[in-house]
Amino acid sequence: MNDLHAVLWIARKDLLQEARSKAVTVATVFFSAVTLGVLAFAFGENPLLMREGAMGALWVALAFAGVISAAQSWQADLEDGALEALLAWPVPRAAVYLGKLLANWGLMTALGFVLLPLAGGLYGAAIGGNGETAPALVVAVLLGTIAAGTLGFALIAVFYAGLTANLRARESLLPVLMFPVVVPILLAAVRASNALVGSGDLDLAWAWLRLLVGFDLVYAVVCLVLFRFVVEA
Amino acid sequence: MTAAPAGAGAPVGAGAPVGSGAAVPAGAPAAIELRGLVHGYGGPPVLAGIDLDVAVGRVVALHGPNGAGKTTLLRLLATRLRPVRGHARVLGHDVVRQAHEVRTRVATLPVYGGAYGALSGRENLRLGVALRGGDDDPGAVDRALERVGLIAAADHLVRAYSSGMRKRLALARLTLADAPVWLLDEPYAALDEQGQELVDALIAAARDDGRTVLVASHDLPRSLATADAVVEIAGGHLRVLARPTRAPTATATATAGTGAGADA
Repeated sequence: MNDLHAVLWIARKDLLQEARSKAVTVATVFFSAVTLGVLAFAFGENPLLMREGAMGALWVALAFAGVISAAQSWQADLEDGALEALLAWPVPRAAVYLGKLLANWGLMTALGFVLLPLAGGLYGAAIGGNGETAPALVVAVLLGTIAAGTLGFALIAVFYAGLTANLRARESLLPVLMFPVVVPILLAAVRASNALVGSGDLDLAWAWLRLLVGFDLVYAVVCLVLFRFVVEA
Repeated sequence: MTAAPAGAGAPVGAGAPVGSGAAVPAGAPAAIELRGLVHGYGGPPVLAGIDLDVAVGRVVALHGPNGAGKTTLLRLLATRLRPVRGHARVLGHDVVRQAHEVRTRVATLPVYGGAYGALSGRENLRLGVALRGGDDDPGAVDRALERVGLIAAADHLVRAYSSGMRKRLALARLTLADAPVWLLDEPYAALDEQGQELVDALIAAARDDGRTVLVASHDLPRSLATADAVVEIAGGHLRVLARPTRAPTATATATAGTGAGADA
């Protein structure tokens, strides 16, 4: 069969289920909004600290929400033997991974796009930069940074959520396994975002963004190669 | 390979066939071939060196007490488990080294429905057809739903289905798979009398179509009525329980096959 066809059907399945249950959407939006609010409160009334911490807070909120999203991503597959049936079909394991990745990444990216103006407003950060660079370009690169960062996060999250899906302690194991691996992604994403929001420094942002995309590529290859062993184990 | 017939009650192993004992053309692969198959979960092996051949186009019923290894054997053949020792082949393809090829030739009926609760019955079937590489044919899906008596509930979410309806949906997915080998795990469970008759009819139709069917069941009377051979798994080993006398269908005669072990 056309593997791309399988990827799209699996992503469609996950998104259709989410559209009906809204389990991930409600939990992640609520949790990340609370995280942004609590961190804003913690920074106090120092405007400089608020502005400089805006993108860090955004990525902390996205990272925590991403764990919830990842843990939920396999939940429906575990009910009623659905995953067992899915894996007994002649579907390439890479297609299963990519389909679930596509759905998870889509949800994470959408969440990031929603949280960006919220963080900007709450923390008083200029999303369009400081005016030296075209704001539209800054926002476009910022959205690209969110997409690249959430891709890296989703690559790891879907992989480890699949690895722990059948374990009793999956909720506690998932963040323990995931976070050490996603730290480089988060650091690069925070730095690139900060460079854009703080000073509109495109050169600095590009440097971090290139590193971020590099991590994405490495993680994509490793996860694609290893995922077969995760689901066959 | 030619199989020597074996009687009911005989242990099943290489050279000890179950079923009709019909000869097969040399070199024709058995639909299912097990050799020295061992599997366990840490304790004593559930399957302790099983040999079995099932010829193309035959129906074999697997019996045995709970925990005897019926589901384990079906999962091994569906490539969802790997044997600890020995090997299993489906239509000549090794379940470990050629797992994808095996999956294209096998359709399973899991003991649980295996459907997504947040999707409708129709959406589940379309997903199954698409992931097996079939055409997105709404007419075929509707016919399958009609056949299992679910057309009125086709657009209801599966989470609202009863367990019997979920089993019927799994039967519909099985018929849409168009696979030459069927692995059915407790197909009668949760079904009413009409549903059980539907399973019998589907198995009979599968035999007529030349499919090979391995059925794990606790319903011995039904197995005796539908299967070409009934084998029991107990203590990690297989033995022949019964070989019901049955006039072979045209297809079964034409495609009868065996390996060194069992000929069903």
